[in-house]
Amino acid sequence: MHFLRQFLALLRMNLASERARLGSVLTIFIGVTCTVTVLVSMLAMGTGARQQADGDVHDDEAIVQAQGAEGFDSNISRDQMVTLRDLPGIDRDKDGDPRVAGIVFVPFEGHRRGTGRRVFFPLIGSSDVKFELRPPAHLTEGRLFRPGLHEMIATNACVGQFDGFELGARRAVRGVDWTVVGHYDQGQSLQCVVLTDAETVMSLFNRNSFNRINVRLRAPSDFAAFNRALEANPALKLEAKPARQQAEADMKQFNGLLNFVSYFIGSIMAIGATFGAVNSLYSIVDARRRELATLRAIGFGSGAVMAATLFESILLAVPGAVLGTVLAWLLFHRMAVSPFGFSFRLDVTPHLAEIGIVWALSMGLIGGFLPALRAGRVSVTAALRAT
Amino acid sequence: MKYLPLIWSGIWRKPGRTILIFLQVSVAFVLFGVLQGMKTGIEHAVQAARPDLLIVHSRQDFIFSGLPLGLLEHLRSVPGVKLVEPVELFGSYYQKPENGMLIIAVRPDRNWTDAFTFNIAPEQVAAFAKSRTAALVTEYAAQKYGWKIGDHIPLVSQVVSKEGSTTWAFDLVGTFTDSDFTPGRYKILVNYDYYDQARVSNTATVNHFNVAVADANQAVSVADAIDRLSLNSSHETKTESIRELAQQQVQQIGDLDFLVHAVVGAVLAALLFGTATMMMQSVRERTPELAVLKTIGFTDHAVFLLVLVEAVVVCIAAAACGLALSTAVFPFAARIVFGLAMPPVTVVVGLALAVALAVVSAALPALRAARLRVVSALADH
Repeated sequence: MHFLRQFLALLRMNLASERARLGSVLTIFIGVTCTVTVLVSMLAMGTGARQQADGDVHDDEAIVQAQGAEGFDSNISRDQMVTLRDLPGIDRDKDGDPRVAGIVFVPFEGHRRGTGRRVFFPLIGSSDVKFELRPPAHLTEGRLFRPGLHEMIATNACVGQFDGFELGARRAVRGVDWTVVGHYDQGQSLQCVVLTDAETVMSLFNRNSFNRINVRLRAPSDFAAFNRALEANPALKLEAKPARQQAEADMKQFNGLLNFVSYFIGSIMAIGATFGAVNSLYSIVDARRRELATLRAIGFGSGAVMAATLFESILLAVPGAVLGTVLAWLLFHRMAVSPFGFSFRLDVTPHLAEIGIVWALSMGLIGGFLPALRAGRVSVTAALRAT
Repeated sequence: MKYLPLIWSGIWRKPGRTILIFLQVSVAFVLFGVLQGMKTGIEHAVQAARPDLLIVHSRQDFIFSGLPLGLLEHLRSVPGVKLVEPVELFGSYYQKPENGMLIIAVRPDRNWTDAFTFNIAPEQVAAFAKSRTAALVTEYAAQKYGWKIGDHIPLVSQVVSKEGSTTWAFDLVGTFTDSDFTPGRYKILVNYDYYDQARVSNTATVNHFNVAVADANQAVSVADAIDRLSLNSSHETKTESIRELAQQQVQQIGDLDFLVHAVVGAVLAALLFGTATMMMQSVRERTPELAVLKTIGFTDHAVFLLVLVEAVVVCIAAAACGLALSTAVFPFAARIVFGLAMPPVTVVVGLALAVALAVVSAALPALRAARLRVVSALADH
C-alpha cells in the first residue's frame, strides 16, 4: 500500500511536469507515431490480401488438381473428370447432376487503364457457369456467354483496372474475336477475372484436358469421404484440397513476403525511435534530479521512483500509438493497391491496432528501463549539493 | 584545425546522449540504405538488362503454348539478326513436387550462349554440346541438392516421352549462373533436339526464340520486322528485348517508389525532430560555456559553426556506420529480388542526407548559440 501510494504520487508529479519538457515529450510522441503508422499500414496490406483471398471462398467447395502439379501445369483428362463425378460426397442439383465444374486456364493479356502496362492473368474456361456465379457472385450487367460463340464475361474490377472490357468490347484471343457480353461481381474481390465456356477455349487451343476441377460438396464435413474415395482410386492420380486451404496456400508466399517486409521495417524503425525515447527520458530524469533527491530524502523508496519512471515512459508511448493507428486508418484503410499483380484493398483491422499499440508499449517499456534505473539511483547528497 | 579538440570535447561532453543520437541516426540509415538501395538497385538491374537480346514469343499466350520451330529459318533471314536460338520450357520436379525445376531446352549450336544471359565455363559449354543427354544446372540448385558433375538426374514432369514415361533423366556436365534478375533459381539446361525427338506431343514447337541483334540501336526496328513476318498467321509473334521485359516485371511489383519514399520520409521526419530537440537541449545546457568562449574572443560566426560542425560530425559518422551495416545486411534483404547489389550512389546520397539532417536540426540551436548575449547568459547561472 505504501509503495502504491508513493508510486501514484510520483506518477502524478511526473506527468504534471511533462509540459515543461515539451521537446523531449514530442520526440517520443513523433517517433512512436511514425513507427506505428508505418507498421500498421504495411501489415494492413497482408491482412487485406488475405481477407480478399478468404472472403469469397465457400467452405463446402473443394479444388481437385493433378498430383504434384499446380495451375497451368496440372492436367486432368475428360476420362478422369467422368470418374470423378460419381465420387461420394458431391452435391447434386435438382436434376441429379453432380455439381462439378471443369476449369481450364489460358493466359490472357490486359493493359492497365491509364498507364497501358501489360499484365497477364488467366482467361478461365468453366464447364459450368452456374458454379462460378454462385451467390454472392452475380451478374450485374449484360447476359451470360453462350457456349461455342466466343463470348466472355468479366468482373466489374476488370473494367476499372484494364482497357477494353466494356460491354460489347472485342478482344482477340488466338486470332479470333471474342465479345464481352456481361459483367459480374465476385463478392469482395478486386481481382480481375474473365470467364468463358470451357469447351470453346479447349477447342480453340486444341486441348483435351482441364487444369483443375471445382467440386461442391453436400457439406464441408463431406470432404473427408470425398478425399478418401479420390485417394482410393489409384488410376485417378488426383489430389483434392478444401477451397479455403487452397486459397490460403495460393496466398502463403505472398503474405509471408509482405509480413516479413512489414516486421523488418517496423522493427528497425522501433529500434531507432526507442533510442530517441531513451535520450529524451534521460534528459527528463536529469532535469528532475533535485526533486527526486528531495523526495528520496523525505522517505520515498527508490523502487517507487523507478516504477513511476518506467510507467511514465510507457504512458508517453500511448498517444503516439493511438495517433499512429488512427493515421494508418485514415490514410490507408480501404485503399486499393496492386503489388505483384494482385489487386486488393488495405485493411486496418482492430487486430492490427492491437499489434500497433502493443508494439508502442513495448517501445516505452524497453526505452524506459535505463532511465528508470538512473532515476532510482539518484544520490540524495550529490543531487542536492549540485547547483 | 585548432578548433578540432574543441569540437571533439563538445561531442563527448555528455557521452551517453551522443552515443544514443549516434545509434538513432545509424539505425535510421540502415533502413534508408536497405530500402533506397533496393529501389536504386532494381533500377540499375533494369538498365543493365541487355537491350540487344530479343525474346520472340507467341502474341496470344506467352506462358502456355508456343511457336513452330519452322519459324527459325525465317527469323534468321531478318536483316540485323545475328543469332537465333530456339527455347522450349517445361516444368518438372526433383523427387518431391515441392522441388520444382524449370527445364530449359536449348540447341548447343556455335556461339549459342551469346543469345542468353547465362554464364557458363567454356569447357562446360563444350561438354554440353558433346552429349545429347547432357545438362547444366544453376549453381544454386546444384548446391541445394548436392549434385556433382557426372551425376544422373531424374526429373518428373507432365511431358510424356516416347517410352511412355514422365521421368526424364539427364547427365550433369556443369553449372551456370544467370545474370538476368528474373526469379527462379532452379533451372536446368538440356538439349532441345534430344528432348524434342523424345517427346510424344507438341513436337517441333518452341516456347520462344532468343534473338541476338547485331546493333542494339536497331533492336526496335528488328523486333518490328520480326513481328511483321507472322502478321495475320495462326501464330502471330510479339518480340521484346529483355530490358523491356525487365521493365514490365518491375512495374508488376507496383508502387515500390511510393512505399520507399513514405517509409524513408517517416523515418527522417522522426529523426529530424529527435536530433533537433537534443541539439537544442545541449546548447541550452552549455549556455555558460558558450558565453565563456565568446568572452575570450570567439565571434558569433565561430560559435555558430562550432555547434553546426559538431552536429555534422556526429551525423556523418553515424550515417556512415548505418550505411556500412546496411551494405552488410543487404544480400539478406535483397533476397526478394535475386542477385541485387548495394549501389554506391545510395551511399553517397545517404551521406549527403546526413549532412542535410545535421544542418537542418542544428541550425536553430546554433543560431541561438551565436546570438547569445554574454552578460545575460552568465548572469543566469
